[in-house]
Amino acid sequence: MDFYLNLINTIGIHTMLGLSAYLLLQTGQLSLAQAGFFAVGSYTAAILTVIFQWNIFPAVLAAMFLAGFLAFLVGFPALRVKGLTLVVATIAFSEFVRMFFYNLKWRVTRNGEEIGPDGTMGFAEIRYFSDNGWSNLEVTFFLWTFVIIVMGIVWWSDNSRSGAVLRAVGEDELAASSVGINLTVIKVSAMTAGGFIAGLAGGLYAHQVTSLDHHSFTVLLGTFAIAYPILGGLSNVFGTLVAVIFIQGLLVEGLRFLGDWRMILFGLLIVLAMNFKPLGLFDKHTIGIIKKVIRV
Amino acid sequence: MEDFLYEVVEITQAIWDGLLFGSTYALIGIGFTLIFGAMGKLNMAYAGAAIAGSYVGLAVSMFFDAPIILVFAVSALVSALMGYIVYQTCFRFIPTHNHLAALMASVGGLFLIDEVIVLATRGSPMNFPALFEDAYFEIGPFGIRGDLIFVFFIGLVSTVVLLYVLFKTRLGMATRAVAQQDVAAQLCGINIHRTNSITFSIAGLLGGIAGAMTAAAVGVLSPVIILPLTIKGLIVTVIGGLGSIPGAIIAGLFVGGFENFFLYVRGIDERDMYVVALLFIFLVFRPNGLFSKTINRD
Amino acid sequence: MLKIKSISKHFGGVKALNGLDLEVGEGDIFGVIGPNGSGKSTLINVICGIYRPTKGDVTFHGQTLSGKPTHQRLKTGIARTFQNIRLFPNLTVWQNLWVARNSVEDIKTESSFYRWFGKSIIVKKEIEEMLEFSNLENRADELASSLAFGEQRRLELARAVATKPRLLLLDEPAAGMNKDEIRDLDSRIRSLQLQGITIILIEHVMELVMGVTDRIAVLNFGSKIAEGNPQEIQKNEAVQEAYLGYSEDD
Repeated sequence: MDFYLNLINTIGIHTMLGLSAYLLLQTGQLSLAQAGFFAVGSYTAAILTVIFQWNIFPAVLAAMFLAGFLAFLVGFPALRVKGLTLVVATIAFSEFVRMFFYNLKWRVTRNGEEIGPDGTMGFAEIRYFSDNGWSNLEVTFFLWTFVIIVMGIVWWSDNSRSGAVLRAVGEDELAASSVGINLTVIKVSAMTAGGFIAGLAGGLYAHQVTSLDHHSFTVLLGTFAIAYPILGGLSNVFGTLVAVIFIQGLLVEGLRFLGDWRMILFGLLIVLAMNFKPLGLFDKHTIGIIKKVIRV
Repeated sequence: MEDFLYEVVEITQAIWDGLLFGSTYALIGIGFTLIFGAMGKLNMAYAGAAIAGSYVGLAVSMFFDAPIILVFAVSALVSALMGYIVYQTCFRFIPTHNHLAALMASVGGLFLIDEVIVLATRGSPMNFPALFEDAYFEIGPFGIRGDLIFVFFIGLVSTVVLLYVLFKTRLGMATRAVAQQDVAAQLCGINIHRTNSITFSIAGLLGGIAGAMTAAAVGVLSPVIILPLTIKGLIVTVIGGLGSIPGAIIAGLFVGGFENFFLYVRGIDERDMYVVALLFIFLVFRPNGLFSKTINRD
Repeated sequence: MLKIKSISKHFGGVKALNGLDLEVGEGDIFGVIGPNGSGKSTLINVICGIYRPTKGDVTFHGQTLSGKPTHQRLKTGIARTFQNIRLFPNLTVWQNLWVARNSVEDIKTESSFYRWFGKSIIVKKEIEEMLEFSNLENRADELASSLAFGEQRRLELARAVATKPRLLLLDEPAAGMNKDEIRDLDSRIRSLQLQGITIILIEHVMELVMGVTDRIAVLNFGSKIAEGNPQEIQKNEAVQEAYLGYSEDD
């Protein structure tokens, strides 16, 4: 049972991570910075509950705001550059954050025990949930409440004018500015929103896994973050969820028996998927077909 | 005073060694920049293909006790082949305007290559033959490592040959034509898929040489160097200016020296943070890099 | 209303616009014609802020536009269509019109939150009116890319009008149209004029320009070679020379 709850939690967190990249991807900006915001969220929330003994709810919210604010700051210089340069800039940012936390040492002694981030040794003993008697089921509900709220907000955006404007910017910047859309405002907003969501996901992640290690926050995570929405299609929130379930559920967990061959299969699947469905598995065309099938 | 002079010598030594080693970054940067110049796209699998080629080169040397020059040649050729395969599987069939899909596909390719290497070698690093490892000259207080000179020399020769091919042969001209105007090039009868495949292969050649160079200089080959090599290569490409070969060369050497300086001064844990900070400084003040031209600028 | 004062735009050695002076009065339908390469499209791009003029100034209602980025010029009331249609292909017809609602008036009438996340009745009504005006009522939920060519042109025009402009720049809107479509476009432009919108019409299709405009300026090699009403322009020798290489008197 615990195994499945763990998987469900992971799916939830990765869905939020994917959605954090989703909004910015809609504007046509390819950013691998989500891992960095995720890391900031993780460490901030963990430091608040472990060292400052905060309650989980304000800690996670604070982590969310800090990551969002950071995304806002990063947004302005980052979005002045485009394309490949942006990819490299965001990779570099993400790596910088990872290395920063790799070197962060902030040890505090409480009840005779040393706690806090320990530089290269990582940050262990994030025991808020167990210390406060949360059952695994309660953790899952807590986490997924946030996931559902985030999904709801992004879904609402998709179906309102803001979603259409984001996609208009992604489709044709010249036309968009010619109808009065302020490109910089839109792009920075998308980046900031992404930062909020990634920070929230990170804060929850830290308490779910109870120990942080810099290996969790590499460019690989940033790649996963953009892989989910790209594979799932950028026109539908559920596409991202399905992509996460597929990748995490099937490939990472379900095919554990394949051992290391999983990653090979994973790489192969991505290559195939991109060749056959470059607009994602759930592009508008496919959704149209699905809708027709359901109606029949 | 003595201590100060000692520090100056050590720092100069570090920068010098880094500069020589930076020739590997220069080659990787040229590889990325070639592909960007030709297709406007990023091949994330590039360093993976380069290291994979180096492994095959290593295998050759292990099984056949081949001279080092053969190891380099095999690395280069295998990486060139892999570059060709990467083009066919990750770039050829994806619509040109769709950058995301091509990027993701090449990321998939990177995962694949990385895992195959890990599986084949059971994840343990392997020793790579170093040439001239005993060669060491001294000029006053400074030492010059023969193996680094050799590595630099190979980088130099590769670059010269590349420039010759690009600017003095028909193949190179076709590559540059496609980079400038792919539709017009097609209308002139140039087969862009063939040209692009060749560009990827040439970039692969350089990558294989760079991979072998890195492994020879460090003495060890391991899949964990793929990601840092990719990131540093990308940073060098951006600092040098996307599409600019001279930019990649200068940036590569500079980053090599720069990072080794900080390795000496701040240690391995913080070294890479400074390289990233260097990139940020460039992005703020010169977002187009040192030379924001494309390959075709004469 | 719009004053173009000695505008020059150089691209390296090419002088796309060379000391051009134009004045467009409020409520006019003003035509701009000229052979290919005479600078017509460059002129629109300069007015919209896509190109910065090498020399000269553009003023709108007496205020200079220089330094204002494209989206801000839109807010002052200038809108445009594109010669090669630039719709948002993967957005529906409705969404194409929806995202264009960025005028100062729209921002004032609706609260920010509602404007971005809601769908008020006013918005619904206005977009439906636009769809009716463009004969696209039953295409509202179709993707813009699935529209026929004529429908796309109508949508492009509708989208520009949805920004509630005071001045509308049309860049060769009749290109590729047949006679019926041109007649349709003619009556649309006239009804826009009746709504109080000033129009600058860049065109090649003479029957449209001569039929619908109040005044015409003729460009050649980036400068104005003639200006007048349609009848005067048709008789003008310099214009004939520019287009045909000779004049009636040769």
